[in-house]
Amino acid sequence: MMRDSFSTFHPIINFTYFIAVIVFSMFFMHPAFQGIAFISAFTYSLMIKGKSGLKFNILYMLPMLLFMAMINPAFNHAGVTILFYLKSGNPITFESIIYGISAAFMFITVILWFSCYNSVMTSDKFIYLFGRVIPALSLIFSMVLRFVPRYIEQIKVISNAQKCIGRDISQGNIIKRAKNGIKILSIMATWALENAIETADSMKSRGYGLPGRTSFSIFRFDNRDKVIFGVMIGLIGIVLVGAAMGQNTIRFFPSIKIVNITVFSVLIYISYFILCMIPVIINIQEAIKWKHIESRI
Amino acid sequence: MEAYRIEDLSFSYPESSKKALSNINLSIDSGEFIIICGKSGSGKSTLLKQFKTILTPHGKSEGEIYFYGQPLSEVKSSKQVSEIGYVLQSPDNQIVTDKVWHELAFGLESLGYDNSTIRLRVAEMASFFGIHTWFHKKVTELSGGQKQILNLAGIMAMQPKVLILDEPTSQLDPIAALDFLETIKKINRELGITIIMSEHRLEEIIPMADRLIVIDEGMIIANDLPQVVGDKLSKMKHPMFSAMTSAMQIYKGVEDDKNCPITIKEGRKWISKFMDGKTIKEELCIVENLNKSRNIAIKLKDIWFRYERNMPDTIKDLSLEVREGEFYCIVGGNGTGKTTALSIISGINIPYRGKVLINGKDIRKMSTKELFKNNLGILPQNPQNLFVKKTVELDLYEILSDTKLNKEEKSYKVKKIVEIMELNNLLDMHPYDLSGGEQQRAALAKVLLLEPKILLLDEPTKGLDNFFKEKLAEILKSLIRQGVTIVMVSHDIEFCGKYADVCAMFFDGSIITVNNTREFFSGNSFYTTSANRIARHICREVVTIEDVIKLCRKND
Repeated sequence: MMRDSFSTFHPIINFTYFIAVIVFSMFFMHPAFQGIAFISAFTYSLMIKGKSGLKFNILYMLPMLLFMAMINPAFNHAGVTILFYLKSGNPITFESIIYGISAAFMFITVILWFSCYNSVMTSDKFIYLFGRVIPALSLIFSMVLRFVPRYIEQIKVISNAQKCIGRDISQGNIIKRAKNGIKILSIMATWALENAIETADSMKSRGYGLPGRTSFSIFRFDNRDKVIFGVMIGLIGIVLVGAAMGQNTIRFFPSIKIVNITVFSVLIYISYFILCMIPVIINIQEAIKWKHIESRI
Repeated sequence: MEAYRIEDLSFSYPESSKKALSNINLSIDSGEFIIICGKSGSGKSTLLKQFKTILTPHGKSEGEIYFYGQPLSEVKSSKQVSEIGYVLQSPDNQIVTDKVWHELAFGLESLGYDNSTIRLRVAEMASFFGIHTWFHKKVTELSGGQKQILNLAGIMAMQPKVLILDEPTSQLDPIAALDFLETIKKINRELGITIIMSEHRLEEIIPMADRLIVIDEGMIIANDLPQVVGDKLSKMKHPMFSAMTSAMQIYKGVEDDKNCPITIKEGRKWISKFMDGKTIKEELCIVENLNKSRNIAIKLKDIWFRYERNMPDTIKDLSLEVREGEFYCIVGGNGTGKTTALSIISGINIPYRGKVLINGKDIRKMSTKELFKNNLGILPQNPQNLFVKKTVELDLYEILSDTKLNKEEKSYKVKKIVEIMELNNLLDMHPYDLSGGEQQRAALAKVLLLEPKILLLDEPTKGLDNFFKEKLAEILKSLIRQGVTIVMVSHDIEFCGKYADVCAMFFDGSIITVNNTREFFSGNSFYTTSANRIARHICREVVTIEDVIKLCRKND
C-alpha cells in the first residue's frame, strides 16, 4: 500500500476523473477499451488498498466475473455462430459467450472504480463540491455527519445507564425488553432536544442567520490542479471524438463487428489509456521522485 | 476605556414575580479579567446572558447596558457577533460541524468573509492555540479539553474584544481544566482581551483574576480584589466563602493579622512564618487504622479487560477489596481505566480473565434481578440518562413499577427518599429543568429506591459547586451510617480527601496504591489536596483545610 497522491488533488479533479472513467467504462464495450479500463481500475485499486484490495479482488470479484460470464450464454441464445445445443434444445452461441464475458468485465470494472471512488472522495470533498452548488447544503451535510455519530454514541451511553438499573434491551423478557427499548428512545429524544438548545445558542452567538453567509473550504485549485485538469479535459475530448466516430463500440449480435484498427483508433486507445491511468501515473511519478530525493540524501 | 457599563439592571423571567437579577451596577474596563462566582441558581448565567443581545432570554428587563459607550441594544448584530465572544458550558453541545477546520471557520462564514481572509484567520488561531496538529481531524476524535479549546479558538477567530465564558471548565477533568484556564490567561495577558468568566473551580482561577464579583440571589454582594472579597465573605459568614482558595480559608480560620495569602505558594510562605518557632504536638498526626474486621463486599481478583480483541488492555491485573460500609474512592488521571473498572464491578463489562465477587458470589452467576435489586446501585456519570418521565415525582415512581409493592408502600418509600434528598420543592418539575446538583440528587434518589447495599458512583461531583458538594457528602455519609458500601470514581481530590475512608490511586489499568485517606495523601507529594500542599512541610498528615486550621490553633 502506498500514499495516494491523486487524492491530494482538488476535489473537482477527483470527481471529474471518476465521473469520466465510470461513464466511459459503462458505455464503451470495445475490447480494447474494456481491457484498458479493467487494467487501470485493477492497478489503481491495488495501489490504494494494497493487500486487502488484492484479497477482495480475487475472493469476490473473480468468482463474480466467472459467474456472470457463464450465466449469459445460458439464457441468451442470439447470435449466428452456434457452437452446440443444450439438452433443452436451445443453442449456445459464440456471440453470447463473448457478450457475457464482456458484460462481466464491464460490471467488475465499474465496481472497482467505485471502490476507488469511495476511498478518494471522502465526505468533506463531497460536501465541498455540493456546497459550491448549494451553500446551505454543505453546512447541513457537515452537521449530519457531526450529529448522527454523536446520537449513536449517546444511545450507547443511555443504554448503559439503564443497564445499571436493570432496564436495558438486553434484560428481562421480550415485552419488557421492548418497553425498555422504547424508554431508551424516549430518553434519547428528550436529551437531543434539550442539548440542541445549547447548540442553537452557540450557532446564534457565532452569527448563524446573518445575511451573506459564505462557505469556507480548505481546498485550493492550484497550478498543479490546473495542469492536470487541462490534460484531463483534452483526453476526455479525444475519447469523445472517437465515440462520435464510432471507434469505441462493438456490435455483438447477430455477429461480432468492430471498426477496423487504424492509426486514429490507436491514438484514441492511447488517450483513453492515459486518462484511466492518470492516478497511477501520478503515484508512480511521485514514488520515483522520492526515490531520487532519498538517494541524494 | 470601559468595555461594559451596566446601570440599574433588573431582570425577571416571564411569569415569575421574583427578580432573577436586581439593581446590578457594574463597570468593566477594557482588558480586565473578571470572575463572577456564586451558588448555582444565583443568577450568574442570567447576568452573563445579558451581555449579548441574541442570547438574552425572554423576560422583563430594566436598566441599561453600554458596550464601549453605546447602548447594547443599538449595537449592530454583526458587530456583536464578532466583538463579543461567548463560550458555553458543554464542550460537545457547542460544536456544530464534523471537522476541526470547519468548526474554526464557522463564525467567519456567518460573517460573510471570503475564503482567503478565513484561511488567514483560521491559520492564525490554529497556531496560537496549538491546534495545527489536529487541524484535519474529526471532532469526534478529540478529548473534552481539546473540544473546549476548539470552541474557544472558533470564537477567537472572529477577533472579539470581550470574551464571556459561562463555567467553561465544569465538564472537564482537572488537568484539561487547568490547561484551558492557562489559555484564557494567555489570551488576556498577550492579546489584552477583556475576560468575563463565571466559574466554581476557584482554587486555580482566583490568583489570575483582577476582580472577583460575588452574586447571591440576583444581587452583587461583593465586587473587589480577591483578597478584599475573601475578607468580606468571611465577615459575612457567607457560604460562598467555602469556594475561596484553601490558603485564604486557612488564613481566615486561623485569624492572623498579616497579609492574606491567595496561592499555594503564598500559603506555604505564610504558614512557615506563622509556625516559626512553634513545636508541633504529636497528637494531631494520629492515623486511624483500616478496619479489617468487616466483611468484604466487593472483591476483584486479577482482572484483565480490553474493549476489543485487537486493542490494548484497558485493565491490567487489577485486584481490589472493598469492605462493607466503607467509602472507597478511586482517583487517578484521565483515561487510566477508572470508569472501566467501575463498569466491571457492575457487570456491564465482562473481563476476559479474573473474577468479580460481590458479597462472595461470582457476578457472572447472578441474574439481573439478583444483581440490581437490593444489591448494586449505580449512578452514571451523566444523571440525565436515568430520567424517563415528565416530572421528578413520576420518575421516582417509575423505578418502583416493577416491584410487587402496593400503592401505599410505594408512596411511603418515595416520600421517605424525597425527604432525605430534599426534593420536596422539585417534585413537579421536569428532570431536565433542574440544575446540575439537583439532577444529581434526583438521580441518586432514583437509584436509592432500589435499596442498594453497594453504591457505585462515577464522578458525582463533576460540575457541582462547593455548596452542593457538601450536601452530597452529607447524604453519602448518612448512607454509610446505614451500612451502605460506596465506591466512587473521581477527579475531585479535595472531595475525596475530605470525606473518603479509603483512597486508591489508579494508574495504567490497575491500582498502584491503596491506603486510608490520611496516609494516602500524606504519602503523595503532588497528587494531593491543596491544604496538604500548603502545610505538608510542617506536618505531612494534614489533608483538609480544617486539619490545617486545627494544627495552627493547637500550636498557638
